[in-house]
Amino acid sequence: MYKLVPSVCSYCGTGCGVLFKVLDGKLLGTLPLKTHPVNEGKLCIKGWNLHEFVNSPLRLKAPLIRINGRFAKVTWDRAIRYTAEKFREVMSQHGPDSVGFLASAKITNEDNYLIQKFARAVVGTNNVDHCARL
Amino acid sequence: MHEKVLNLLETGKVDIFLGYKMMAGHPLPHAFGRHNPVEVQEMILGPARYPLEKLAVEILAARPDLKIGILARDCNRRALNVLTVHQQVAPGQVQVLEVSCCPSPLQRHADCSSLEAKEFGAGKKEIGIDNNLTPDRLEAMEPTERFSRWMYEFQKCLKCYGCRDICPVCFCRECSLEHEDLIGTGDLPPEVPIFHLVRAVHMAGRCIDCGLCEDACPVDIPLRLLYRKVNELVADLFDYKTGLSLEQPPFSLLFDKTAQPAAAPHGA
Repeated sequence: MYKLVPSVCSYCGTGCGVLFKVLDGKLLGTLPLKTHPVNEGKLCIKGWNLHEFVNSPLRLKAPLIRINGRFAKVTWDRAIRYTAEKFREVMSQHGPDSVGFLASAKITNEDNYLIQKFARAVVGTNNVDHCARL
Repeated sequence: MHEKVLNLLETGKVDIFLGYKMMAGHPLPHAFGRHNPVEVQEMILGPARYPLEKLAVEILAARPDLKIGILARDCNRRALNVLTVHQQVAPGQVQVLEVSCCPSPLQRHADCSSLEAKEFGAGKKEIGIDNNLTPDRLEAMEPTERFSRWMYEFQKCLKCYGCRDICPVCFCRECSLEHEDLIGTGDLPPEVPIFHLVRAVHMAGRCIDCGLCEDACPVDIPLRLLYRKVNELVADLFDYKTGLSLEQPPFSLLFDKTAQPAAAPHGA
């Protein structure tokens, strides 16, 4: 019926503790997690409104591919295959330095390590950067 | 305590009881229900402090059919009184189970010590305001010095709206702090001291001195001190002690416009 769910803010890499207010499966609001060692009960304005994007009607819930000039919903398998093909096409024409990789503050260190390893060892480029510098 | 909660749930006096429970290594507010009576044994009293009465009012706004009980420290009780006075909750609609808190000479045992003095750095003492000061000691300062110290505190504001969002007695559907004609929304830095003084004025006859705003402030602005001064004026001029009774505050004339029954939760 009513639940309070602890989580970590998904906006930046700081990792503030948040508490979601959930009533009948719907997100009502966000509170700061008062005993969290990172934010100690404080949040910025984005963190306080974290629930808003979850409930937003504009939120993308499936990958989209532009087909004949219009976006169409596709499966993840198809989206990933399509992206890989396009990457291969660009790299075979212009070389590995024609693509770049942006890692994320919202994933683990291990995932970030994998991204740079993939860029350098598999693709063969040093074009690796992080979303915090966007 | 556990038995009292069980009894409330089993006799149907409440459908949900808001207390605290250790989850993921943190003392978190938790909704105990009739479906899981064993879990009630895991209820704890502290040490964290959340505005449980605000959560209760938010639930009731969406589900008026539910009956809710809360674990109430003194500050929760005062907040519930203010919310009742302002018609956000009907008298007796939220059941309370009292917890001893705020140590004093008369009350040695405390489950909550959130309002005890906290240590602050030397910078605050030199050019800012120590959050542990009392309104009297602050007023002993020269007006120009006091003004410059307050301005130092206010200009740190990040405009996170945390003070309003955590506040148990902030329930207005339309908030002056988001009113385009009064305060530019989306503009940083905030207009000081107007932003803070608008909020301070609105705390007159409403603030129950729980200190949650100060706890939530990322830059340690002594908000509790500011609102204490505001409410001292209310007590001196109108002989009204906020939150201690269900008596209407002296500003009842304004109510038609500000208070509407069962407000939906604002942005928070």
